[in-house]
Amino acid sequence: MLTVNTRFAADWLSRAAWRGRGRLAASCRAGALACLLCLLVTGQLVWGQTAKGKTAAVTCATCHAGVTANYAHAPMRHAMEAGGANPVLDKHPNLTTQVGGFSYTVQTKDGQSTYSVTNGTETLTLPIKWMFGTHSQTWVLEKDGHLFESYVTYFARGEQLGVTPGDQRITPHNLTEAMGRKLPIWETEECFKCHASGAVEGAKLTLDTLRPGLDCERCHVGAQQHMADAVNDNFKTLPKSLKKMGAENVSNLCGSCHRTWDTVMRNHWQGPAFVRFQPYRLEHSRCFIGNDARISCLACHDPHQGVDHNDAIYDAKCLACHGAAKVVAVAAAVTPKICPVSKDKCVSCHMPKVELPGGQAVFTDHFIRVVKAGEAYPD
Amino acid sequence: MFFAPISKAITEGASNSRQNKSGLWSRWAWARGCVCLLVLTCVLVAAGAQQAAPQFDDLAGRAAAARDGGNLPLAIDLYGQAEQVKPDWAEGWFYLGMLQYSANAYPEAIDAFNHLLALQPGVPPGLALRGLCEFETGAYDDALRDLEQAVAKGAANQPRNEQILRYHLAELLTRSSRFQDALAQYQFFAAKNILDEDVLVGLGLAGMRTPLLTKDVAAGDRELYKAAGAAGYTLLEENTQLADELFTQLFARYPATPGIHFFYGFLLFPHSPELAIEQFKSEVAVAPGNLEAHAMLAFTLMIASRYAEAKPEAELVLAKAPDMEMAQLALGRSLAEIGDVKRGTDLLNQVLQADPDSLEAHLGMASIYSRTGRREDADREHKICRRLAK
Repeated sequence: MLTVNTRFAADWLSRAAWRGRGRLAASCRAGALACLLCLLVTGQLVWGQTAKGKTAAVTCATCHAGVTANYAHAPMRHAMEAGGANPVLDKHPNLTTQVGGFSYTVQTKDGQSTYSVTNGTETLTLPIKWMFGTHSQTWVLEKDGHLFESYVTYFARGEQLGVTPGDQRITPHNLTEAMGRKLPIWETEECFKCHASGAVEGAKLTLDTLRPGLDCERCHVGAQQHMADAVNDNFKTLPKSLKKMGAENVSNLCGSCHRTWDTVMRNHWQGPAFVRFQPYRLEHSRCFIGNDARISCLACHDPHQGVDHNDAIYDAKCLACHGAAKVVAVAAAVTPKICPVSKDKCVSCHMPKVELPGGQAVFTDHFIRVVKAGEAYPD
Repeated sequence: MFFAPISKAITEGASNSRQNKSGLWSRWAWARGCVCLLVLTCVLVAAGAQQAAPQFDDLAGRAAAARDGGNLPLAIDLYGQAEQVKPDWAEGWFYLGMLQYSANAYPEAIDAFNHLLALQPGVPPGLALRGLCEFETGAYDDALRDLEQAVAKGAANQPRNEQILRYHLAELLTRSSRFQDALAQYQFFAAKNILDEDVLVGLGLAGMRTPLLTKDVAAGDRELYKAAGAAGYTLLEENTQLADELFTQLFARYPATPGIHFFYGFLLFPHSPELAIEQFKSEVAVAPGNLEAHAMLAFTLMIASRYAEAKPEAELVLAKAPDMEMAQLALGRSLAEIGDVKRGTDLLNQVLQADPDSLEAHLGMASIYSRTGRREDADREHKICRRLAK
């Protein structure tokens, strides 16, 4: 979506007083690629006009080239892709599985993927319209004007198809039901809102204008206004700094898609299927307290990059509170305990891996705790 | 469609009913279901009956034969005589009441069920049949009490019983302005694909928060409630796209009629607060004085974490209805989240005093304690939330 801002159609580049000019110019020279990337990444830009009358695009990358370049490869950026270009399916051009009386085939040829289901006598084949997920993938299909969630999903763990999480309870009775689950309007909105940008305006789904993946504005609310104002030398409308937010607020922000404690409690969700909702699990932890940024999602994760699966990377975060040399009493004067067993790879013991029902995927349990041998999954 | 003749038969006159074999068949079928539930409770009584006087045995045998032969007047007379001989015969009171219910002799049936329930308090078929009789005599409060208890005790476990009991219970709940409970009963019909005009009208009444029985709806309004019920039924069936179209048609056809946006918003609320908010906003535009709609709007905004918007809506409600819990929750949580922790805490505590198990109030308190660094209090509230959410 292009936002054409005509307010600064005059001479912003020629204004010597503009404090960002030098940085902008440097960024533009050094980061032409980043700008192009950002067009692809964010889809958000405002137009300025040079003194010579040429228009120039201002994007997030104009000033934040490094972070936008990183984000171009982040999973959240690729939370959804339109059908057509999919490295996962390119790598696995012929996926098949059998569930009950139905056979499934996901074929990729010449950059186009199709999803087929057959009961042996009839076959239903549809183009894959949208792909949700970067490693494991579920697809959204369209049939007769309705959107369906594919009944089978590609799971990265075994590099194979399996029943989509949550759909195990469904027993398909016909080819359409076997193809996928018809999405209610509210679920369609939720799916696209969290996996794409610009998919919902007000309460209406706007699939024609959506941008796949999450752009900067999704978390940095006000980024668009900031860009427009910065061009006019106005830096009073900076988006709220997420780094300064407490753990509770960050959990609520991330949890708007990854699910909050409140959401899980309100829905009475129980069991290991919900281990994938990290903000909710984190808030379970005894060390979680809402006014301390050291236990926020952002303390360990940079959403502009992929998740680091090296356990040792996170040790410093744990030891920031639990380090023997500098025990820091946090709010309420609680003294964090020192681990008597080890000082490294804390998460390997205190954040165990939990298999989703069906065993197709494994998630790190963000309920940080002393895990007792043989204990049941704690809700 | 099976439901319609049963419902109709119940409201028909006694003389008509006696000649209406299909109606009688329905009642007998229903009664057979009740008998299944009564079997356990009658075992002891049956044992006692074996020791009764020969006169009683004779009367009871002839009553059963008349009942099985479909001779209602004779059966009623014989069961009545038998009960005079042996008034603690619970099975007899049950059959007497059921036969009188079948004959549309509702006050007499109620009397028989009163005897049965005095002998065996709380027996579900007795409560259920007495409730249906009370419904027919217009003793609606009594009927609601009995049917609610009967359903809670499992009287609706048999499929055929379930339809008739849930329909009447839903009607009574709507009449008592317990709309949410009524909708829960109507959900059964959508889940089972039981489509009936009275069900649609009843669902429309409950959804649009109109405390009337379907029979009391003015002829000119019936179409509106039926159309609203059809849209709601479609949504409950999870055919959401069609439901959205049906509701949109209703909004165009009845742009100034209160209750339709509320109904749609209420059905959307558990699934998508954002979608529900749009409907509640439309409702308060149509009916600015509807405090319940303002409260739902405030509450839903709060659930959607749109605290700054929730605050003025909740304040508006509480200025006129200071005890409305939903508005207290919305304002309490919103105030706490946007910085007025003291006032927010007070309001949430006010809710907890009236309702100590309010999950929403405990979620709010957990959030307040967590973001203010009160670790022990936050832990305690989290534990309570987990218990309440199980």
